Amino acid sequence: MAENTSQGLSKEEIGYLRRKKAAEKIFPFFRFIILFGLGFVILYPLIYMISCTFRERGDMNDPTVMWIPRNFTLNVLKETLDAMDFPNTLITTLMLNVGCAFVQVISCAVTGYGFARFKFRGQKLLFSIVIMMILVPPQVIALPLYSQFRSFGIGSLSVNLIDTAFTMYLPAITANGIRAGLMILIFRQFFKGLPRELEDAAYIDGCGPFRTFLQVMVPNAAAAFLTVFLFSVVWYWNDYYVSASFFTDTRTISLMLRNLDTELKQRLFDTVSADISPREQIVWKEAGCLISITPLLILYIFLQKHFIEGIERSGIVG
Amino acid sequence: MSKKKDEKRPPRLSYEKRKSLYGYGFISLWLVGTVCFFLVPLLTSFIWSFCDVTIDTGNSSLKWVGLENFEHSLTTDPKYTECLKETLIETLWKTPLIVIFSLFIAVILNQKFKGRALARAVFFLPVIIATGPVYAIISGDISSTGNIGAAQFSTMFSTNMVGELLQFLGIYGLSDNMETMISAISDNIFSIVWASGIQILLFLAALQTIPSSAREAAQLEGATAWEYFWKITFPYVSPFILVNFIFTVIDSFTNPTNPVMKRILALRDDWQFGVISSMAWLYFGIIITAIGIITFAANKMIYYETE
Repeated sequence: MAENTSQGLSKEEIGYLRRKKAAEKIFPFFRFIILFGLGFVILYPLIYMISCTFRERGDMNDPTVMWIPRNFTLNVLKETLDAMDFPNTLITTLMLNVGCAFVQVISCAVTGYGFARFKFRGQKLLFSIVIMMILVPPQVIALPLYSQFRSFGIGSLSVNLIDTAFTMYLPAITANGIRAGLMILIFRQFFKGLPRELEDAAYIDGCGPFRTFLQVMVPNAAAAFLTVFLFSVVWYWNDYYVSASFFTDTRTISLMLRNLDTELKQRLFDTVSADISPREQIVWKEAGCLISITPLLILYIFLQKHFIEGIERSGIVG
Repeated sequence: MSKKKDEKRPPRLSYEKRKSLYGYGFISLWLVGTVCFFLVPLLTSFIWSFCDVTIDTGNSSLKWVGLENFEHSLTTDPKYTECLKETLIETLWKTPLIVIFSLFIAVILNQKFKGRALARAVFFLPVIIATGPVYAIISGDISSTGNIGAAQFSTMFSTNMVGELLQFLGIYGLSDNMETMISAISDNIFSIVWASGIQILLFLAALQTIPSSAREAAQLEGATAWEYFWKITFPYVSPFILVNFIFTVIDSFTNPTNPVMKRILALRDDWQFGVISSMAWLYFGIIITAIGIITFAANKMIYYETE
């Protein structure tokens, strides 16, 4: 090979090829180091979480224990599950957060399709509102929303919706929930990328726009749906700001995790002011973290392959 | 259903007209929701920022006070300006770092190598966790008691590796500037890596849009990897550099764990609605201005293939 190529090539070209070959050999090595190091930065908290969950609290003060617990125990996990009231909390979270996430994917898809494929008056203005939805921090509108939900309706017909699931479902159904603007944008971009012939064919065959959307566009948009669904579930699952604003005593997993400190002290040691060293408290907190992300991790492991492919193909970018 | 038929029949609308009606049909649900749950609250909060608001059992009474609230938050409030400064400075230096870092990682993850799927899965993992309270705990933010993740993490690095490196450098009297720089990087690599999940994702998707013809042409012309990056990759992803810039700015501005948001939340417990609204609007004004400036500056340098 080398002799063959060197015949018709000048010195500079040979030098170029040689340098290229050397770079190709060295680069994978660098790539591995970079990826491994940064991957470690990302995985470190997770590994630490697992390591902490299964150790006794005394191990926290033992300098020889770095990763592998000396006294293996499941008690911490049990106590934390108990303090978080896990089965009930999980059901509440599924009903409230995951339910909303699901509804919002559908409503955002419909809206995104409307923006992508139809021309109507005021479209630009309305779409700029979608962009506004992305830009305005939820904290700006949280307070007025609270007072609005407090007396929802007109005049004497108003009802207090605070502490009911409506405060989260109503915005989700109307595509105005958590980060809805971003989701509408993703769907719009995606539907814009699908070929127009699909719809024209459906129209000629006598299919109305709503049926076209359901039977022609939705099956073609599976990748986008999957991606947005994962995002939506994650955002709703992790949300504590909105659920803390509109509920006084609803126990979703995120909220329970935030209150884990006091809850644990009350349950395990009977008083809020119990004196446990902060280092020892870490075991319960890490166990709480592990518990609350496990469902998401399982979902991610199952979906990640499709999810990453979906991003590549979905034309989120186009 | 019957209503629709009535509408349709008499004038026999053209295909285009009907399509535009259907368009309203598709977005109508969102439109209703936006008016109720976005525009009205937004307007209310804007009005509140000029008023003295007292709320009891659902009825709010307003008293017009003009710019007093804004004055209060900027001059009288003991912490607001400080928090604002802190947030702005942090966003200012972190955003470029996050964007550069995620572009770098995206280029690497776009190459073909063994274990690429695994590497991608790991790098997108923060997307799942970083918005929730779990991140606040592992980055040692919520807990008033013990810094868990970040502190532990940086102790591992700063005392063992970075510390030793610094000692080594100290011998040659280089340490003054280097020390602050190196410790800043090692302290922040955690938060930068964890904040760039979605940005990597967007860049990776952008890299897919580079046509293979461009790549082949570059190879035939004998471009080095360095040249390829600057002459092919960079122009193609430049629109997404802007997108990622904006996304990162918004993300860090709206993050409930940043100082301004914490201050606003703390005041909410005191029911000072007027002051809070003015703070939120001041803050929002700054975001919009920042994004406006970035967009204006960037639009001059961006390469668009179409349009």
